[in-house]
Amino acid sequence: MTGGNFTAAALARSGALRSADWRYRLAVGWREPTAAIGVLLALLFGYLIVVPIVTLLHDAIEVQFGDARRAGAEVGGWTLHYLERAMFSPVAGDLFWEPLRHTLAISAGAISFSLVVGGLLAWLLTRTDMLGRRWFATALIVPYMLPSWTFALAWRTIFKNRAVGGQPGWLESLGFTPPDWLAYGQVPITLILALHYTPFVILLFGNALRRFDSQLEDSARMLGAGPATVARRIVLPMMLPALMSATLLIFAKCLGEFGVSYVLGLPVNYDVLATSLYRSIASRQSGVAAVIAAAIMLIGVLSLLIDARLVRQARRFVTVGGKGAMNRRSGLGILGLPALALASFIFAISVALPLLTLVLSTIMRVPGDFSLANFTLDFWIGSNLETVALRSGLLLTPELWLAAWNTLRIVGIASICSGLCGLLVGYVVVRSPVRPMAMFLRQVTFFPYLVPGIAFAAAYLSLFAVPRGPIPALYGTAIILILALAADQMPFASRAGISAMMQLGKEPEEAAQIIGAGWLRRIVSVVVPIQKGALVAGILLPFISGIRGLSLFVILAVPSTDVLTTFSLRLLDYNYTQAANGVVLLICAISYVGTLAAQKLTRTNLAEGLGG
Amino acid sequence: MPDIVLRQVNKRYDRDGPDAVADLDLTIGDGEFMCLLGPSGCGKTTTLRLIAGLENLSGGEIAVGDEIVDSRSTGTFVPPERRGMGLVFQSYALWPHLTIEENVDFGLRLRRMPKPERRERVTRVMETLGIEPYRDRYPSQLSGGQQQRVALARMLAVEPRVLLLDEPLSNLDARLRLEMRAELKRIHSAFGTTIVFVTHDQWEAMTLATSIAVMHQGTLQQVGEPTDIYDRPANRFVAEFVGSPPINIVEVEGPETSPLVALARAFLETTRQGRGEIASIGIRPEHLHLLDPNEPVAGGAFTGPATLSALLPTGGSWIIELDVGGSPLFMSTNRPPVFRVGDSITFSVERDAVHHFDRNLSRATTTGAPKEKVSAGADTDTSPRAAK
Repeated sequence: MTGGNFTAAALARSGALRSADWRYRLAVGWREPTAAIGVLLALLFGYLIVVPIVTLLHDAIEVQFGDARRAGAEVGGWTLHYLERAMFSPVAGDLFWEPLRHTLAISAGAISFSLVVGGLLAWLLTRTDMLGRRWFATALIVPYMLPSWTFALAWRTIFKNRAVGGQPGWLESLGFTPPDWLAYGQVPITLILALHYTPFVILLFGNALRRFDSQLEDSARMLGAGPATVARRIVLPMMLPALMSATLLIFAKCLGEFGVSYVLGLPVNYDVLATSLYRSIASRQSGVAAVIAAAIMLIGVLSLLIDARLVRQARRFVTVGGKGAMNRRSGLGILGLPALALASFIFAISVALPLLTLVLSTIMRVPGDFSLANFTLDFWIGSNLETVALRSGLLLTPELWLAAWNTLRIVGIASICSGLCGLLVGYVVVRSPVRPMAMFLRQVTFFPYLVPGIAFAAAYLSLFAVPRGPIPALYGTAIILILALAADQMPFASRAGISAMMQLGKEPEEAAQIIGAGWLRRIVSVVVPIQKGALVAGILLPFISGIRGLSLFVILAVPSTDVLTTFSLRLLDYNYTQAANGVVLLICAISYVGTLAAQKLTRTNLAEGLGG
Repeated sequence: MPDIVLRQVNKRYDRDGPDAVADLDLTIGDGEFMCLLGPSGCGKTTTLRLIAGLENLSGGEIAVGDEIVDSRSTGTFVPPERRGMGLVFQSYALWPHLTIEENVDFGLRLRRMPKPERRERVTRVMETLGIEPYRDRYPSQLSGGQQQRVALARMLAVEPRVLLLDEPLSNLDARLRLEMRAELKRIHSAFGTTIVFVTHDQWEAMTLATSIAVMHQGTLQQVGEPTDIYDRPANRFVAEFVGSPPINIVEVEGPETSPLVALARAFLETTRQGRGEIASIGIRPEHLHLLDPNEPVAGGAFTGPATLSALLPTGGSWIIELDVGGSPLFMSTNRPPVFRVGDSITFSVERDAVHHFDRNLSRATTTGAPKEKVSAGADTDTSPRAAK
């Protein structure tokens, strides 16, 4: 308020009428803390989201420490050295072009597989009388609730061959050596990502199908079109936006995918962009890393901009549905059994088999030996085992509990911060009379969505690895993880906050205002109590996606800030297969239970809940 | 309690957008029951929210008595929470996380009233509105009508200077609406509160208001007592908007061959009005009558031939559609009609009750004084006033 008066006083000299008008605007716009909070939030997210990315871009063209001779310029000077090295030098193939080709190949494969299978399943689930439809509708979504590299670990448990040391895979112990192309690299990575993103297609495509009015099909039939013509001329064109959207979103996700490629690509040096970035960071080539991260970011932004454009164009179709949308199911008749078989098969290979494999692997002494004597719970709860390291069962290992505590602490604090900020952002965006600021907040908090997590982590690394102004070097602390995670979760948190505030409408608050309640009173007695559910969901859902997240942590975590995901990866690196699988199973369990709890709590369905 | 005065009030939601409210001058007197009436999108709800302070002005000023509460030219803005008004929302906007009692009590707690006093007042208000038995329930457990009463009780409990109601009856069924109308009228006399009421329902406005302000496209069309609005509409819009079945409009400048047009012109010849200024005439359905074929035509009555094309009973009264040379004419009557569809009949018009609308401003004049002429109200503005 004092600031407002001061500004008003300064303006008073510029003509009485104009000053009165300004005073009026100030009185109306800045009367309440809403706008001030907006400014604070805008500054905060400007620093946590825009600045890291700008720093990263800057790192790509600034000579880094130790590179002065190679770049032919002073440290801190401008250079195109890194760009040239990553894009045009003899090593550019290994650093950038080969990983890019692999990323594109994997994405293309995963997209086509998941579109065909997911599209078919979505149709079976929403528009037919397939047996067990309801059960499958939930069961087939499960892969999306689990970390994608769960499946990579399961795959490795079964198909691992002698290319990698340590315990053999099941097939190897059964006497069959899987060839490298089957055990590692493109084929398994593509297949696993395809299975992981199939639920995504089921959700997106299924929702579009559900909103599709059967009367539109009926009208075409009445005019004499056969089922094939109806599908080709009516249904497909109208589903095209949903298909395009799914394609681009899966592509954007494949772009930042780290875990699966790391687990299955490393043994045969099959690099994708994310793992190449990881290698560059690990080998301290921060300039090249910045170039690769910027390239990943650029591709991500481009694909999502295209998606936004397509979605906007698709809005023209949105008259579909609404009132009278009928969703008639067609009988499958004789095709019912094959349909059921397909759904069951997909469930088996995408959920049942991987999880079963992981569970079994943690209770078998020798891999691939299914005799009863071979089963044991030692890997979970045993003590004084005859192993070199990890001499007690996983649940008795202090490292596990440290990682679990770290996960809870880091992900928990980050989720609470982003949940609260999300609601605040929602409040400011919906209520603030200062429109440009509301717009900025809305866009800046959405921006991390466009940036693959691994590139975002690289950006944080380049900003916080060294002291900047009053802020000390944060690398190695839990704070950098909390900040990065909270910022990375903001797209989801702010969208949840905005939609919750939109749904609330302004009337309950206005009623309190009319009756004499000031701003703070309205927030405390009206807004927060009503939004309790949304707030809890806004904290819980990011928490779940944070627990299974890997790409941020793998770059920013150090052993003392190990979380469950990086702990499991470390165990895998040391070839403690059982322990690594055990940790992943724990993550799966937490993630699954948490998702269900969040759904129950907010009565939302999975489609909305899985934005993270 | 002081008057509420709106002077040259303007409201635009977008800088380059159309005016939601344009140059509105309106005074709401102490103790008045003022209805803002108009079709949806006419700016009536915006006006109400401007008075409450939930919207801010684009121009002009609003004063409550001597105190200016909202003015662009002096830079004054009194926030809604300090205006001492009450507003009942169309959606009721009850707080779902508080019980009925807590909802009603909220405003009194804010005013730091001692507990026994608060409890006494909350109970009294809830008893007045018949919601006392539900005091421990939550809003979602009540029916629409009960929620509506809670919304009203919540505002009445703080004894506001002015009670603003935004289409509060539109979500209720017909019977409840009738009950609540009586209730509102009772509250108005019991509490003596000034009430400003927004509605698009002319029946509601007619039965409740002590004065009505008709709005259209953001501008004020006419302010006056309900009978004034009906009997002496300021312009063609008001005449057409108020009244059901709607007023019959005959364009004077229609094709020569139309018998209705010929009739209208012949009628205008007999009056003192020059034909040139009049663009159309309006006849209310109840001012049309059917003549018995045997009955001699009364002197000076203004008659014409027609075919009876439809007969619509509405329970106790009838709406009759006449076909006059291809143009429809509606009349309403309480007398059971003796004619049948297809009959050729003669109709007559009460010459004193015909409205004229001129070409440019659609300003209305009425041929003669209506029979039941109301004496002008003591302090309400009864003169027809037209904007633009």
